[in-house]
Order: sequence, then structure tokens, then C-alpha cells
Amino acid sequence: MTTTQPAGQSRKRTSLRTDILEDRPVNLDGFVEEWPEKGLVAMESAFDPEPGVRVEDGVIVELDGKPRADFDFMDTFIAAHAIDIATTEASMAVSSDEIARMIIDPRTSRDEVLAVIRGLTPAKILDVVRLMNVVEIMQGMQKMRARRTPANQAHSTSARDNPIQVAVDAAEGAVRGFAELETTLGVVRYAPLVAIALQVGGQVGRGGVLTQCALEEATELELGMRGITAYAETISIYGTESVFVDGDDTPWSKTFLASAYASRGIKMRFTSGTGSEVQMGNAEGKSMLYLEIRCILMARGAGVQGLQNGSISCIGVPGAVPGGIRAVAAENLVASLCDLEVASGNDQSFSHSSMRRVARLMPQLLPGTDFVCSGYSAVPNADNMFAGSNFDTDDYDDWNTIQRDLQVDGGLRHVREDDILAVRRRAAEALQALFRHLDLPTITDAEVEAATYANSSNDYPLRDVLADLKGAQSVMERGLTGVDLVKGLEATGFHDVAENLLTVLRQRVSGDLLQTSAILTPEFVPLSAINDANDYAGPGTGYRLQGERWEELKKLRHVTSASNPETEVS
Amino acid sequence: MSSPTGPTSTAERTLRLRDIGPARRGTRPDEVVIALSPAFAGIFSKTIVEVPHAEVLRQLLAGIEEQGVTARVIQVHDTADLAAISHLGARLSGSGISVGVLSRGTTMIHQRDLARLSNLELFPQSPLLDAPVFRQIGSNAARYAKGESPEPVPTRNDQMARPRWQAKAALLHLKEFETIEAGRGPVEVELDFELSSAG
Amino acid sequence: MELVVGVDVGNSTTEACLARVGDGAVTLLATALTRTTGVKGTPKNADGAVTAVRAALERAGVTPDALHRVLLNEATPVISGLAMETITETIITESTMIGHNPATPGGTGIGVGVTVAIGDVGDIADGPEGPVVVVVPPGWDFDDVAATLNAAVDTGVDLTAAILAGDDAVLVTNRLTRKVPVVDEVAAVEKVPLGMLSAVEVAPPGRTIRTLSNSYGLATVFGLDPQQTRQVAPVARALTGNRSAVVVRTPTGDVTDRRIPVGELTLRGEARTVRVDVDAGAEAIMDALARAQPLVDATGEPGTHVGGMLAQVRDTMTDITGQPASEIAIRDVLAVDTMVPAEVRGGLAGEVALENAVALAAMVRTDRSRMQAVADRVADELGTSAAVGGIEGAMAALGALTTPGVERPVAVLDLGGGSTDAALLDRDGACVAMHVAGAGELVTKLIDAELALDNRETAEHVKRHPLAKVESFYHLRHEDGTVQFVQEPLPPQVFARVVTLGADGPAPVPTRLNLDAIRRVRRKAKRRVFVVNALRALRQVAPRGDLRALDFVVLLGGSALDFEVPDMLADALAPFGVVCGTGNVHGTEGPRNAVASGLVMAYSEAAP
Repeated sequence: MTTTQPAGQSRKRTSLRTDILEDRPVNLDGFVEEWPEKGLVAMESAFDPEPGVRVEDGVIVELDGKPRADFDFMDTFIAAHAIDIATTEASMAVSSDEIARMIIDPRTSRDEVLAVIRGLTPAKILDVVRLMNVVEIMQGMQKMRARRTPANQAHSTSARDNPIQVAVDAAEGAVRGFAELETTLGVVRYAPLVAIALQVGGQVGRGGVLTQCALEEATELELGMRGITAYAETISIYGTESVFVDGDDTPWSKTFLASAYASRGIKMRFTSGTGSEVQMGNAEGKSMLYLEIRCILMARGAGVQGLQNGSISCIGVPGAVPGGIRAVAAENLVASLCDLEVASGNDQSFSHSSMRRVARLMPQLLPGTDFVCSGYSAVPNADNMFAGSNFDTDDYDDWNTIQRDLQVDGGLRHVREDDILAVRRRAAEALQALFRHLDLPTITDAEVEAATYANSSNDYPLRDVLADLKGAQSVMERGLTGVDLVKGLEATGFHDVAENLLTVLRQRVSGDLLQTSAILTPEFVPLSAINDANDYAGPGTGYRLQGERWEELKKLRHVTSASNPETEVS
Repeated sequence: MSSPTGPTSTAERTLRLRDIGPARRGTRPDEVVIALSPAFAGIFSKTIVEVPHAEVLRQLLAGIEEQGVTARVIQVHDTADLAAISHLGARLSGSGISVGVLSRGTTMIHQRDLARLSNLELFPQSPLLDAPVFRQIGSNAARYAKGESPEPVPTRNDQMARPRWQAKAALLHLKEFETIEAGRGPVEVELDFELSSAG
Repeated sequence: MELVVGVDVGNSTTEACLARVGDGAVTLLATALTRTTGVKGTPKNADGAVTAVRAALERAGVTPDALHRVLLNEATPVISGLAMETITETIITESTMIGHNPATPGGTGIGVGVTVAIGDVGDIADGPEGPVVVVVPPGWDFDDVAATLNAAVDTGVDLTAAILAGDDAVLVTNRLTRKVPVVDEVAAVEKVPLGMLSAVEVAPPGRTIRTLSNSYGLATVFGLDPQQTRQVAPVARALTGNRSAVVVRTPTGDVTDRRIPVGELTLRGEARTVRVDVDAGAEAIMDALARAQPLVDATGEPGTHVGGMLAQVRDTMTDITGQPASEIAIRDVLAVDTMVPAEVRGGLAGEVALENAVALAAMVRTDRSRMQAVADRVADELGTSAAVGGIEGAMAALGALTTPGVERPVAVLDLGGGSTDAALLDRDGACVAMHVAGAGELVTKLIDAELALDNRETAEHVKRHPLAKVESFYHLRHEDGTVQFVQEPLPPQVFARVVTLGADGPAPVPTRLNLDAIRRVRRKAKRRVFVVNALRALRQVAPRGDLRALDFVVLLGGSALDFEVPDMLADALAPFGVVCGTGNVHGTEGPRNAVASGLVMAYSEAAP
């Protein structure tokens, strides 16, 4: 039985303080009780399997209490490709306490930890990280992150799919310090123009920025192969067979796709995250973190260099259960423990409360990860076509201040207004010239002017969408490639941008970007776990925010000068 | 904080679903079938944003009636999958058009010739469905049944729906799945609205 | 024998015709078609030209070094622009009427009474003061409305009709004990004057109102004298064709149809200058144009709408040519009357009236064609010589002559995007060519405006493709009434919709209009632009301006591939005894490749 009106709300008197608390933004967030039987639990569940492994004749015949005959395809894939069969029985014999201590002990080297982890089953890894509180997880992340130098990634999208906006916000993002830029579309047919805009804008901001465009898998691959994008990220994997099957996929099909990228020297990583399985009602009674650990091992077994995780688009689920954000920090750590590059989330609207938004960031920002956000919205959230990020352009100054307060490197920096205006204008002009050269729809001087000073897509003149879509189609039909973009930029006098883009494209010949955690410095030096390996070994070692970089991060929009307190330095 | 907005009756109504036997295939070309999920107006009484189930049904029915089309209500017990519920409703509908509704409010307009996983209109964001939207959904379903070409009901979007509703939606989804009775066929239901007080 | 290739750089495509020429004979080897690179007439055309030549050579199996000469067209020196302005508006004063045609009014018949707010119905129950029409604001639930009205009737209120804000008319009527006509979806219901005599009429489904759309009906209902009847006549007219309506009798309420002064167009001809008010309509403008011919320039009064329209056209030209606006002279205009749906000012329910509008296409001559630069680059890239030669129209006519069944004198019509071009090649080989403003883009604009699509892509689809109505997932009915069944179910987004049938499958046309109405708009737009312009252009090239003096008219260019325009033109020209049809260059190329082929023919004829 049900009524048409909400049950008459009782008029019980509440305290004035309660009224104030009721109105706090945090109370707009949703919270739910755990339900472990259904998998609605972060990482502490009595229904997760006990760790265990049995090897016979070089084959894993029992995994976490399940005999081979009962394996689903995730178990089969993990047993065959993700666990070091030679060492698994020895590694599994080490107690979880001991492994957890190895992870946080600076005297145990990163390599020693990796060697043990390589032989562990999903349940054993869960058993290890369950012992760690959030500070220990951060301590582990500080040591286990693959690349020594932390970095950050941005979203550059437009609510109107306006390529000029995407280009100039990419340029501003690049000059502010993002190492990777990601875009996606409202109207998918716009993709070629927007991907070109991202590529050009990024290279104007600073040479060596890597770009990608999230699309359905076939188009995303084609844009990558043509050199219109530089890497790929949105290849989703899941922790249960049923969810995989719902998406018409298997671990093998995803692995095949990964090898297609590798065959062209294109950087790529998988995407997964806690909560996706229970969100779809197919958690098979396992905790969110256990299922995510299966994903992480699947990624390792597939041979990809990295993973985007940290719940990603399901963050509302772990965010609503007790200890959920600890589990999210733990899943990032497990990816690092498996020697994968980790792009660690913080990329979806997470909370109405600014305090919660920052708290959710701390386990990644403080120890540093390969990409602290994957990504930070380099456009106002209203323009963010990934449905909003945990941080957006409004938060730039707060982020810079937090970096300065805590002396941590979150990958960004404060940039002077005139420098920002200069790169925005130049990005718009480069795109204008390139479009004209390639016979793509006109970008007017008025649009360049608007783009220089704009904040959101509402600040730009409206585009002729029909002409743009025809232009986008012609990019695909004419078979334009990254080399055509280089030629066009060169021919129109944007020699430096052409040079930057060409150098990025040449990376796929050398294959340097296929190394774990690879990014490019402004000097086009690949920084990866090979030549910039994390060497943290306790206080005073590893990456330290100091020297020139620290001087850079001391700058903010308003800092009173010590030599002349009547002025500001910037 | 989340009471439905828009025109709802000032009178308080209660709704009881009364099984009147197995659901049959309709023959009237001017009918729309409303297909309800297992827990609708059963263990649940309101949607994720507390729109009472009685109001959801009253508005859907009103939207259909305003278009001069008749409605039949069935309840499905052996699945809580919206596409399956809606498609079953469409196959039992004399016009081939159905509206499927989950307890949390997620709604879909389906047509019998479509593949099960396809649909005519889908309203996936249950937190954004209020009484006026249910009225428009009913109206559109009826217009499809008449062979008209209604403009799809505008779908809304809210980036902050994720932090607020994502986990509750998952919980309601799991709970509804618990009420599935495998092997129990769809039943035709009669609605008993009771007007308890006016004004 | 020489190996030559003719290249025609058009607005969107570049065509090549490779042939062996010698002893007055032309042997066709191959043709090719590619996308034009850059704006027509600019050096960037060279890339497309080279691509087309290479493709033709490859197809013929000939190497570039065997090529003797590349022949390029002299690009048509015209470009065009468009603008549209509404010239009438309908205004309802004092909320005299509601005539918006809700999809589902309730009840039938006519009810006359004094308007009363539903909240006040209870107060008059004690002393009924005659018949009442109840007005219901938004937020009232249909069950409550019905209950309130039933209660009022029970206490003796003489309820005759109701006006509702929400879409509740059928719901309320179904619940009334006394059935009365009900009009709903009146968005600004709060503006309905209360305490006034009013009439509500609802016709049965499929019928239209009879009383309120009739001046004498209104006179009867409201007891009007002849003078007053004269005054309400516009109200009756405005309600004609509706299924439901409300008329409120207010002291000075009225419906007016006002002309909007949009300014004066000045047509400066070689002999005289003619001025015409644009709100006088297309016919007056075209009459004025005829008097001013040949046109030197057209200007609009600064600060008026027409001034803005022409400024807009000039700006477009400046963007394309890089010529300063002051140097741009408008050499032809085409004015077309059109009806654009617009919301009525003072309306209570978003009433829409069809307002008159004038669309104006204008054409400019440009002397900045830089085909020589194109020729130089082509010669350079292919390592051969290249020459620019031949008026485009004359070349097209020469090419058209290769169409089987055609002989001199022949006229060609090229229906382009911005301009319609005609050329006549007489028995002696003399040629005249004319360009008039207005073609495909104007058609698209008319369709877009008249269907209120506000989406040029959809309008293009409507223009290019036949319509159909998707009647189920497995069959659709074409605009000619034939039914087609499909094996695979059609996509859900086209279900029950009117669609265009393009190459990418059915695409929905987002409008409430039915198939016939859309089709009428499409055909009317094509007739008013293509047929009018074809006749206008042909008259200008025909001897003594007499269409009967033409024998053969060959249609060329992309629009000649339109599914209905060639038939419309053939019908229009038939009364003049003209044979008109789509060209088939070389008997194989259809309406394509005429200019490129003509260049080769002209070269052959001129060769010693």
C-alpha cells in the first residue's frame, strides 16, 4: 500500500544548530549501509574467498579455494597470465603481515616488493592491503609508484563540442602543467575536429603533451592509428565474468585491442574501478576491492603498461559506504604494487562538500601518483562532457595553494595572466590557420578573440554545426593523419607547433611511450619507469619538491612581496 | 527535501494493487500496457526521490487518458530488468506500446517489434523523474499507440546526481532483485485508489 | 594528335576530362571527379586539380609526361549571399482570444458565460449570476478541478465551459457530471480577463469550430451591432481552421495584423534608380528590379532591416573574396515571399501565426579570380603547360552538346548552390551566358524557415531526399503512397515519424507537420527558386528574351541530379515547346563533366 503524498512529515522541533548542519552541502551526498551478501561493501567482507594457490605441472589448479574446474574466465585468464607460477607458492607462503610491512618499510626496495607481489593471488593481495590504514597506503604508494616524478592529467571538452574551446583550454592546461589531455564529445560526429583541436592546442601550450579522445573503441583506435591522438585510456575492464559478458567482451578481446595499439607504438592503458560490478547488480557477492584487484591482475596479465582506476565513474558507490575512500586509495596502491602505471581517478563529480572533495584527493596527492587526477577538468564542470570532475578550472588557485602549503607536487603551477592569454590566442590562431589550410570550416577572428578571454562555451560565438560536421566527416573520408596536421602547421607558419607535434608522433617509431608510466618532458625526453624509476628509500630520497620546481610552485596569484610589502610578486 | 513538484492532488490517496489473474494479450488497438516491476507498490511505496508509487501510476494513467487511449496495468514477478519488463508489457499490449516502470522510478517506453534491449524512449535517471515527467511519459506512450509522432520527453541531466543517488540506486536495484519470484508469470492488476480526505 | 585534359574547378567538385585531340576529332579517354580544395578561384584549387588530372591519367593508363596541355576553366565570376526578414506580425490586444489548437481539448459544443477564477466558484454558489466560464490556473490537479466543478454545479452554478492551464481537458471532462467544452494548455491563463463575457467552443475530433470563426456567429454570441461586428472580423479570421477556441469580449480588445516597416531597397540600374519598400513583398521587388535592369548595385537604407540584410550579404562576400565591402556591387537579387511561423504577440497559449517574410538572395561579380595562379601551379606540379581559357557557360554548352539527341542551338542551365547560370550556344558558335541570384542554398533556407526547423542539416535532408512515414518497424509509406516493407526492424528513433530517405537510411524530420505539409513546403520552395530562376535566366539568354526561340535546354550540375527539380523544369518549359532534360555528357557522364569536356572540345575546334 502506498499513498500519493509523502507521509506527513512530523513537525518535531529541531535545534537551530541542526538546521545549520542540515543545510551543509555534505548532507546532499548519499550514504548507504553495507550489504556484504550482495557486494555492497568496500573491502572488508566475510564473503570474499580465502587466499590460496596450488600448482601442478606448472599449471595453477586451484586459485583462492576454487578448483580449476570451477574457474570462470577471469580466474582462467589470471591463473594463466597474471601470476608468476614459478614463485607463486613461495610468495603465498609469506604472511600477509610480512608483505604489508615490506610495502611500507623504506629499507625493503621496491623491486623486492614487486618480486613477492608477482606471485600473489587476488585474495592474498586483498588480505595484504586490508591490513593497511590509509596512512600506510599512502606510504606504500610513495614507494611503489612506478615513475619517480608525479604528474597530472586533464579533461578538455566543450558542452557545444566547440573545437576552438577545446584547443585553447588544452593550451592553457598544458602551460599550467598537465602531462596528458583527454577529450570526449557530446555529438560523436564532431570527434575528428575536436581531437585535432586538442592535439594542436596541447602542443601550443607546451611541447610533448600527450592527447587522447574517448570514443567507442573502433573509432578511438582509428584516430590513434592516424596519429590524430597520441594515446588511449578508455578501454574498460570488469571484475566479474557476467559484467564482461554483458558488454560482449572477454579478457582476451580486450587484450587483443591492447595489442592493436602496441603494434603501432601507441601508449595505452585500461580502465577499471571499484563499484562498477555492484552498480550493475552483478558483484557475485564479492567486495568492491576484491573485484577491482581481479581487474588489476587482468590488466597486468594482458601486458598493458598501465591502468586508470580509483572507482572512476562509479565513485558514488564506494563514496557512500563505510571505508569506501580507503578502498579507492587501496586500489590505486594495488595497481602500483603490480608495477602498472596508475592514473588515479579524482576525475568525476564526487561530492557537494568541498571538504570531502579535498579529503578524497589526499591519498593520491600527498604520496604522488603517476597521474594524480585522470583527469582534472581544464574546463568549467558545466562544459565537462565526462559528466564533471572532482576538480575544475574554478579550483586552479586552491590546488596551487595546497601544493604550496604542503610542499607537494600535484603537477600544476600558477601561470601569469599574460602568459595564459598568449598561449590561448596562439592556440586559437594555430587552429584557425590549420583549419583554413585543410579546408575545414572557417574560424573567424571574432572566435579567436573570444577564445582568448573565454571561460566557458557560452563565451564563444555559435559555430555553424552543419558545416563543422561536414568538415569532421571530410577529415575521415580524406584520410587525414597526424602528418597532415604537421604539414599544415608548418605551411601556415606555426613551425614550432609543427615541430612539437612531429616529435610526439615520432615517439611511436621509437616506442619509448610504450614503457610503463611514460610521459614527455617539455624537452621531449620520455620520463618512464625505465629512466625515471621511483627510487624512494626513506626520508631524503625519491622525488622531492625542491630547487627550480619548488621555486615555481611558491608562486600564487597574490603573494605579498617581502622586499616591498606594498606590492605583490607573481 | 525531495517531495514531488508540480500538480499533484491535494487529496491523499492510497493505492492497492489487486491481482485479477494471469496477464493476457490485449486485443484493443487503443490500449497501452503499464508494466510494473516486482516490488512496485509492494515492498516499496515510493521512487528514489520519494514520488509515491500511487502518484506515478495516477500520472501515467492520466497522461494516457488525456490522449483518449485506454490503459491496462500488469505486474511482472520473474524479472526486475527494465528492458525485459517493458518488452513483456509491449508484447501483451493491444497497440504494441508499453510503459515499463521500476520501483525506483526508472522508466521506459517500449514497442513489441523492437529488440528487447532497444526502446522508444528511456528515462534512466530515476532521481530526475517527478510527477509532471510521468504525466508526459504516459501521454507520449498513448500518442505512439495512436500512430502519432510525439517529441520525445526532454531528458534532464544533473552532474551532481552521482554523489547523491548512485549508491542508493544500486541498493534499490539489489533490493528489487531480491523480490524476483522465478517462474511466476505476469499478472493483471486492478488499482484501488482510495481517496482518504479532500483538501 | 595531342593529349589534353580539361579541368573544371567548381564550388564543391573538381572534374577532369582526358582526351586525345587532332584533326578536328576528340577521343575521350577518361574522366575523374574529386573534391575542390579551397574556395573556387583561389590558388589552393591547384591541389584538387592535380589530383583530378592524375586520377584521369591513371584511369587511362597514361603517364603524366605524355600530357601535352592542361586546360582550366575561367571560374564563374559570381558569388552569392542570403538574408531573410519577417514583414508582418499578429498582435492580440487585451487578451481577446485564445486560438492555439491544443492536441486534446475536452467536450464539444459552445459555452458562453462570464469568466470566473476556479478559486472563486465557491463564492458565487449562493447566488448564481448566470452562466459562468471557469478559469483554472496552473498547479490544480485534474481530480480536484473536476470535484470543485461538480460541487459547484450541484449548488446551482450554471457552468458552461472551462479554460485550463494544464493539459487536462479530457481528464477533467471525463470526470464532470455536466459535460461542457474545455480548452486546455493555456500557458498564460492568468492573463485571461475575469468578469468578462466569453465564449468557448470545441469541435468534435476531425472537425473545426463553426461559430467563433464566423463573424456573424460572434455577433450572435455577443449580441454585436454591425459596427462592432466589423471590429471582431479579424478575430474570427484568426480562429479559422482551429478545433477549439476562446473569445473574450473586452472593451477594446482586438487582433491586428501589422506590417513591419523593414526599409527601402534601392536598386541602381544603368539607366535609372528604382526604390521599393521591402514589406511590399517579393512581387513588387521583382517588378522594381525589372525596371532597373541591368542592375549596377543594390543598397538598403542604413539602420533599417533591409540595410542590415544587404550588409550581411556584403560581409559574407568580403569574407570570401577579401574584397573591401565598398567595392562589392550587387548585380542581381531574387526576392521570394515566404510564410514563417512566429509566436503571436499578446497570445495566451503560445499561439503561432504564419507571418509573411521576404527572403532575398543577392549576387556579386568578382574580378579577383586567380585561375592563372592555379594554372601556373598545376603546370609546375605536372611538368606540363597549362592554360586558362573559355567562359564557363560557353564551355558547359559545348560539353552539353555531347549529350545524345542534342544539337545547336543549345541552352544549358546550371543550378548551383548560390546562383543559377544559363548559357546559350547558337548555330554559329556564339555564346551568351547569364547568372542570376538564388539557387540551392535559398531553397534550403526557405525550407528551414517555413518548417521552423532551425537546423540547416535537416533542411538540406528535406531538400535532397524524398519523404516517407514510418508506419511500423517493418514498413514505411513513401510520399507517393506506395508501401515498402523492410526485413530488419527500423531504428527506434524513426518510429511513427516522417523521415527523409537519404543514403544513410531514414532520418526523422523533427516537426509536428504531416508528410503532405512538408512535401508541399519542399516543392513550393523549389518551384519559387529553381523554376522562377530557370525562366529568368533563360529569358536573359534567349534571342529577344523569347523562350520559344530555344530548342534544347540541358540541365547540368549537382541540382540536375535532384529527384524532382528536372521534372519541374521540364513541366515549366513544356508550354514553350522547349525540350528540357538532364544532360548526359558523352552519353555516359550524366550532368557531370560538361565544362571539363567543353574545354577539350573548344581546344580541338581552335586547333589549326
